[in-house]
Order: sequence, then structure tokens, then C-alpha cells
Amino acid sequence: MRIKSRALIKSIFLNLLVAILIVYIAGPFIWVISASFQGENELLKKPPSFIPKSPTTDNYRYVFTGQVPTSYEVKGQLRSRISQEARLIAPALKNSFIIAIFVLLINLLFATPAAYAFARLRWKFKVGIYNFILGSRLMPAMAIAIPYYVIIQSLKLMNTHLSLILVHSALTIPFSIWFLTLYILNIPRDMEEAGLVDGCNYFQVLQQIVIPMILPGLVAASAFAFMTSYNEFLFARFLTTSITSQTGPVIISSISGNPDVSYSLISVCITLGMIPPVILAITMRKWLTEGLSSTITFR
Amino acid sequence: MSIIRTANGSLHRNVSRVFERFYPYASVLPALLVIVLFTIYPVVYAVRISFYQYILTKPNSHPFVGLNNFQDVITSYYFKNSLINTGIYTIASVTGVMIFGLIVAMLLNTKIRSVNALKIIILLPWAIPAVVAGLMWKWIVNSDFGILNGILYSLGAIESYIPFLADPVLAKVSLIMAHIWKEGPLAAIFILAGLQLIPNEFYEAAKIDGGSGLLVFRYITLPLLRPILLVVVVYETMTAILTFDLVYVLTGGGPADSTSLISWFAYAEIYKFLNLGAGIALSIIIALITLILIILYMRALKTEDTIS
Repeated sequence: MRIKSRALIKSIFLNLLVAILIVYIAGPFIWVISASFQGENELLKKPPSFIPKSPTTDNYRYVFTGQVPTSYEVKGQLRSRISQEARLIAPALKNSFIIAIFVLLINLLFATPAAYAFARLRWKFKVGIYNFILGSRLMPAMAIAIPYYVIIQSLKLMNTHLSLILVHSALTIPFSIWFLTLYILNIPRDMEEAGLVDGCNYFQVLQQIVIPMILPGLVAASAFAFMTSYNEFLFARFLTTSITSQTGPVIISSISGNPDVSYSLISVCITLGMIPPVILAITMRKWLTEGLSSTITFR
Repeated sequence: MSIIRTANGSLHRNVSRVFERFYPYASVLPALLVIVLFTIYPVVYAVRISFYQYILTKPNSHPFVGLNNFQDVITSYYFKNSLINTGIYTIASVTGVMIFGLIVAMLLNTKIRSVNALKIIILLPWAIPAVVAGLMWKWIVNSDFGILNGILYSLGAIESYIPFLADPVLAKVSLIMAHIWKEGPLAAIFILAGLQLIPNEFYEAAKIDGGSGLLVFRYITLPLLRPILLVVVVYETMTAILTFDLVYVLTGGGPADSTSLISWFAYAEIYKFLNLGAGIALSIIIALITLILIILYMRALKTEDTIS
């Protein structure tokens, strides 16, 4: 009897703990989505409505079509809370997306053969170059932001997609190489050796034997590269000057820098901006978790 | 006829031998070129600038000043202040992240049914941009219509709204809460990976011996988890020391420089005071501090042994 009630208390306690954690983790997401469907008037109440009482898609309509929401016209003073800049979010997210896709492709193209060479082949300077590549990522971003600016300017690439594709590739390739090297080291070697005996060259072995075996790793590496690029802020902030190349995080932080901007509109921008990473994080949960786990448990 | 065939054969063999010899270099070269362009030059450039006076409002005079930039930075009030802030911030947020990570990982490792929901959402904070995470929290703790004030007010816990970001201590706490929210999930995933490496037999043996939950945690889980915990602590410490995006959107270093972390100070030096030389000197100091941690990190990971 005593044991039973103790087990019950334990179960209640654990479930309560899980519930608190879920509220802490998911709460901010639910709140920002809820706020994006509220009119400014409703949002500024004390206390605010947790669930929109009269949900409206006006904020989204404004961002996409420029039609000013009616709730802003009720009080004249609220008009100023409309920020034209919020309308830049769609092109900014498009920029983010294009850049991140190219970064992903470059990562796959450059990091896969390199990882194979590090994991399997014997060659001079291997360990030195491996350490150099891994070490390159460990400089604080702030220290290299100015030099990056100088490089991009002298390449005449300021405010272009290409500048961020290059910089983000340099930031992500070391991780991809490290990750894929570990991945290849942890798959059995027999098939590759059989391939080499049969007269395949290294490239054929990589292409026909290794790549099919490390597909889950490649999926995870792609997702990491995409997310890092999509989320990156500091360099994007310095290397872009107009909407032709400014990315989501740059535009979102810039909109919110305006002290008068409406929180409803910021919520719309935030909600739209987090759609791609949230979809990735939920649909590719298994690969991402396994990928992250492997970086710490593989030896 | 047979001579030609032999010649052809050896030619073929030579070609393939050359291919095999250069193949590793060719496969590393593209990646290496991109990385070299964005590593060697920036570092050389940064180190050079740090010895010169580079103030953007005085574009035509760049005298060599030796170690003056370093001296100016180290002796300034802001350096001491941001170092203390970064220290407090790092200790508090790493502790928070580790406790959060341990609790979540241990829950995820159980068979409680409600944990499945946690499993689905755990990666979300990690996946979104830090700038976005910072903004979400900025509006949650907003002093006029933030949801946190709204909740506390509705519950009757407070009588009037608290201006979280206007108070030096509460601003720090807000920043740390946002940091734990953003970084905790990754720590949880890492620790979970470590927990899953512990063979079940250990727990079963402990159960037979009648060990209680807390004792099992203290004498089995914790010691076996130590190597992984060490790696996570070092990684999280680096992340905390270099925090920038969150400060940029959440507090802007304020109020009264109470959340001016060292990366933010470097940013302010460069972009607000336009003192490039001093800003970069400071960045180099940050780099040296993190370098020590990185050496520890590499030791803990020991990846170089595995490829040689």
C-alpha cells in the first residue's frame, strides 16, 4: 500500500515536471503565434488575452499585401505603429532560403569527399590539416567580422547573396567535415575494401559504397548547414545593406529596433521566420537527434 | 602487339597510381581553399590592426601604437565591468543549462507517456535563430504588455507590472532565462546520448541491491556520465562567453551596462565608438580566453587520435 501511493506521488510529480517543461519550451512559440493573430488593441490590454478573442488575419494581410488592418485605424495614434519595414519580411526570408540552400549544397559537395579522405585515406599532413580545419571555426565571430567585411568588399561582393553563401560555407564546412568524418569512421570498412580489391578507385568507392551508407549522416549534415546559415545574424548584419540580400534575422531585428513598431507585426515576422527551422526540427527530429548525439558519443 | 599491350597496361597503371596519390589532396582542396580564405587572412589582418590606431572618425591617420590598444582596453572600466558580467552570466547560465539538460535528458530516458510531447518540441528553441529567440523573450518580459507580467498579474502575484528589462538584476535574469531556453535543449540531447550509453545491467544490479533513485543517480549515473558532462560543460561555457545575438536584441547591453557581456563590449567598441583597433584588440583577448577552453574541449573529445 505504501509503495503504491509512493509510486503514485512519484508519477504525479514527474508528469507535473514534464508539464512545466512543456510550458516553458512551447509557451513562447504559442504566445508569439497567438499574438500574430491579434489586433493591436487586444494585444495591449492588461492583462493581454492568451488566446485571441477575435482572431484576425489582418496582420498577415498587411505584411503580404500592404492593406492596413482596421484595428489600427480605431485610434489615430496607433497608425504610427505600422512599420513599412515589416513588409520586407517575405523577400528577406526568400534571401535567407536561397542562401541557405546554396550553403547546404556546397557543404555536401565539398565536405563529403574531404571527410572520406580524412576518415579512410593515408596521406601527408592529414592530421595537421584536419586540426587546422576544425580549429578555424573556433575563432570568436566578433574578431573576424571586420576582416570578413574587408575581404567581401575587396572581392566586390558587398550586399550580394554570394557574399553570405561564401561566408556561411566557411562557417559550416568545418563542422560538416568533422561530423561526416566521425560518421564514416563509424561504418564498417569491409565493403569499401572489397570495392578496392575489385578495382574501383577511391572516387568510385566513395560514390558507390560510402555515400549510400552514410545517407542519414548526409541528411543530418545538410540540415545543420541549412539551419546555421538560415539562423546566422552577425555576418549577415555586416555584409548586407539592402533588401536585395538582407536575410530574415537581419530584417526581424531591424524591425524590432523601431521603438514604435506594433508587436502584432513583429509577431507575424517572427512566426513566418521560424516556419522553416520549426518544420525541419519536427520532421527531421530523428536524424537531427541522432546526428547531434553522434557528435558526442562517436569515437 | 603484346609490347603495346604491356606499355598500355603500365601506362594505365601509372595513371591510376598518380590518381590515387593525388586523390586525397584533390578531395580536401576545395573545402580547404574556402576555409583558408576566411581564416588565415582575417586572423593576420585582425592581429595587424590591433597594433595600429584605427579610429573610423580619423580615417587618414593610422599610427603604429604597439600594445596601446590592448592596454587601453584592459585598463578601461568597461572591460572590467563586462568581464564581471560575462563571468556571472557564464556561471549562472551554464549551471542553468546543465540542470535543465540533466532533468530533461533523464525524463526523456524514462517511459512516462507525457514525455513523448516533450520529445517532439525539445529541438524547437535550438532550431530557431538566436535573434528571434531574443525577441520572443523581449516581448514576453515587456514592462507594458508582456505576457509574463500578464500572467503574474492575473494570478495576483504582482500588483503592478514589473519593468524587467529596466532593472539591472532582473535584466540579467531575463537574459539568462532566454539563454537557458535557447541552449538547454542541445545540452539535453547530448546528455541523453550519454545516458543511453550506460548499459542497463548497471541499473538492474542496483535495483537488486535495493538502491534508491537518488543513490543510483549519485553512484551510477553521474560517474558514468562524467566524460559527456565534461564535454557539454566546456561547450556550453564557450557558447555563454561568446553570447552576442541575444544581448543585441534583448537588452542592448543595458540597463546601465548591466548586461554588457564581453562580445557586446567588443561590438560597441567597434560600431558605437568606431574604435576598430581597440575593438579588435579586445576580440583577440576574447579569442585567447576561448582558446584555453578549446584546448580543454579538444582534449575531452580526442578526435585527432581516431583519424591518425
